[in-house]
Amino acid sequence: MRAATLAFAGVAAFGLFEAASAAIIPAKAVVAQVLLERAFDRSVATHQPVKPWPWADMAPIARITIPRLGLREVALDSGSGQALAFGPTFLPTAAAPGAPGTAVAAAHRDTHFRGLGEAKIGDTIIVEGIDGRSTSYRVDSLQVTRWDRFAVSSDRSAARLALVTCYTFGAVTHGPMRYVVQASKI
Amino acid sequence: MLTSHRLIAVSAIALGAALAVTASTPLVAQDAVEEDQGPGGGVLMLRAKGDGTAVSAIQLGTDMDVTVSGQVARIRVTQAFRNTSTKWVEASYLYPLPEDGAVDTLKMVVGQRVIIGKIKRREEAQKIYEKAVKDGRKASLVEQQRPNMFTNRVANVGPGETVIVQIEYQMPVRQVGGAFSLRLPLVVGERYVPPHTIVSQAALRDARTITAGAIVRPVPGQMLNPVSIAVHLSPGFTPAGLKSPYHRIAVEGQGASREIRLAGGQVAADRDFELSWRAASNEPVVGAFKQKVGSQTYVMATVVSPITATAPPPPREMVFVIDNSGSMGGDSMVEAKASLEHALRTLRPQDHFNVIRFDDTMTQLFEHSVRATPEQVQTAIRFARSLEATGGTEMLPALKAALADAATVGDASTVRQIIFLTDGDISNEEEMAAAIAADQGKSHLFPVGIGSAPNNYLMARMATMGRGTYTNIGSAEEVSPKMTALLDALQRPAVQDVKVTVSGKVDLTPKILPDIYSGQSLVVLGRTDKLQGTMTVSGRIGARLWSSTLDLSQAVDSPAVAKLWARKRIDDIETERTLGSLDSAKADEEIADIGLDHSLVTSQTSLIAEDRKDPRRPANEPLTREELPLNLPAGWDFDKLIGGEAARLAMTNAAAHGSSVADTAEAVELPETATNFAATLANGLLLALIGGLGLLWQRRRKVAR
Repeated sequence: MRAATLAFAGVAAFGLFEAASAAIIPAKAVVAQVLLERAFDRSVATHQPVKPWPWADMAPIARITIPRLGLREVALDSGSGQALAFGPTFLPTAAAPGAPGTAVAAAHRDTHFRGLGEAKIGDTIIVEGIDGRSTSYRVDSLQVTRWDRFAVSSDRSAARLALVTCYTFGAVTHGPMRYVVQASKI
Repeated sequence: MLTSHRLIAVSAIALGAALAVTASTPLVAQDAVEEDQGPGGGVLMLRAKGDGTAVSAIQLGTDMDVTVSGQVARIRVTQAFRNTSTKWVEASYLYPLPEDGAVDTLKMVVGQRVIIGKIKRREEAQKIYEKAVKDGRKASLVEQQRPNMFTNRVANVGPGETVIVQIEYQMPVRQVGGAFSLRLPLVVGERYVPPHTIVSQAALRDARTITAGAIVRPVPGQMLNPVSIAVHLSPGFTPAGLKSPYHRIAVEGQGASREIRLAGGQVAADRDFELSWRAASNEPVVGAFKQKVGSQTYVMATVVSPITATAPPPPREMVFVIDNSGSMGGDSMVEAKASLEHALRTLRPQDHFNVIRFDDTMTQLFEHSVRATPEQVQTAIRFARSLEATGGTEMLPALKAALADAATVGDASTVRQIIFLTDGDISNEEEMAAAIAADQGKSHLFPVGIGSAPNNYLMARMATMGRGTYTNIGSAEEVSPKMTALLDALQRPAVQDVKVTVSGKVDLTPKILPDIYSGQSLVVLGRTDKLQGTMTVSGRIGARLWSSTLDLSQAVDSPAVAKLWARKRIDDIETERTLGSLDSAKADEEIADIGLDHSLVTSQTSLIAEDRKDPRRPANEPLTREELPLNLPAGWDFDKLIGGEAARLAMTNAAAHGSSVADTAEAVELPETATNFAATLANGLLLALIGGLGLLWQRRRKVAR
């Protein structure tokens, strides 16, 4: 009898732990954005990257807004999985936002970039930097690609922006496909 | 003790089930390219020669005069090159031909004189032409770049002068599902040249030749390269149901002949012209034509397969490949997506399927073909709808991926069909054919040529090598009827193991006989010393034997049969070359011999007409070379192709690097971007619930005791 009780208790405890660790993800995403918003505003005021909380290993560098979708997120400067939990991150391997070349920002499809699937060609994306300047982009392509087969143009003559998230939206497992919204500076 | 064992087992099963929920991986889009082609960067060979809006010196007008007699069409194309400038000009025009057409005549009209072109080996013709160019004499050179793509060059057209060049070719009439049709391409679609094919100066020259000097942004109310078309139709029976799906036509005449003209007089050369007709009555259609040339008699026979009943459909695996490259932008993409969706909706749960899309990247929807459950089909439809036309056309990896998956589903009886939706605008047709040959017939290939001016040479070649048939879809209205017809034919058993037997010794072509699908026809051509007896085409439909016999003594005289035989024989040689059973140099030699014998333009022979008499251009006047601009095929999205990112890159690239080809893109690895907290949360709660219920149940039992 005791063995069975133990097994059920174990299953219940494991389930609760799993549920809690999952539930914390969206909570963390929302709370982090509040702190990041604050840190970003201070960064703009001081023109210095300000850490959102003392032990953070990344700092906000831009605010991405897609007015039509009501999407507004503060983006971070490191493309690690940890930073992705808190906000969209610009990939260090690509160009810096606003600089010539293509800047690539990635975020989770089920938290910060949940609305990205609704983006349409012609939508405006605004990226504010911590220097207070904002750059507007116009969406000109939507594509689905494999994570390791994505390429950006090596053309340095124009500033472009790519927003990346997992594809398909609404799927329940990890997959190799990514959804990419590309935009050019206007 | 026993109960406690059972309980542990129960909870173990519960845990296992819950974990299985976590571990199952439904609906995962995966890409399984066997060889990674690296980041997608490609070259569309658009030369930075201006966008063609500048007025060109040479104005071109074309008239096509088509005579259909029986099942052969002879087409006379008259092109007037008018020089509106004050310079001496050499004009070069890239024009398309039906994939089974055979050019045999070139005439150049200079003033009152008609100069007849001669067939020469390609290099010799080039030398004669270059000499005439230098001497200031008029000359015209017709060269084959692809079996369905030719260049016509006219040298030394003086200021204000008009030179008329006439070429003639013939082609067989196509017979499908009881209808006869003729498809004349009027414009060459811009081809994508995969960077890996540019390995030598010769390859670069080829790439430059097969791409237009300039492509013109369509301007409403302006007509570039106007064409007029007249068809004299004498099919040998009373025609009915004349249709031209892409042009408005005016029809006159009665009895067994008709005169067809374009209703508006002239049209811009920006889409294929198609004309189809049926027999008014059920009278038997003559199936055999003959021509005597010297001691040889040539024969052409058309055998129509029976419309077979739908048998209990065998298990099948269907792989759909869809092209979403930049050249598909506009109407083509809409048609391709609609065609794919139409096909997906006809899948039955017992079928397996997969979808592959490609531009210069590719995506395989499922890692391997999956059962066509309603959910999987819905996933595929969503995937199809999300496609956007952009980027280059790396078709080979997609084809290889479609062929590679063969061993994974079903047994030997599974029918494997690949439906390939594309406009075919690539330059590496031969690589595609070789990949299909390497598959050794495990898969059947059914190319669907999308758009107003598809590369039908590629379609025909893929269908021949892949033992399938090809279909053209040129407008949104055609999606439903044509896809229905194709899918219907695929459900019916085809005539397989086809053999042709003739009394006497006959050199027959094609050598590799295709499967004949329900309602399709097979055209067999032969050459013999003595034409006699009968020709029997036999095969098997499922387990049943089928045969059809034609009395060759009933064959009707037709002046085109010898040349069509020669043209088909060249296809055989190309197939043997692809299969590796014929050495390439030897193949070239054989093709050259056929070209010279039958006066045909081939890859090895060209037609050259030169004015030997009077040099017209004064030695001190320079000659300006001009490649005539082409229309964009109707329905193409100019901005997707020319204004698009891929093209812009290619343009800067081609201009900057000249003969070298550099990568146009940098790879960026994308991080994992899904937390899947919702799924984890659900699984966690489910487990907690199972555990909780178990504990509750235990308590109850304890209390009860």
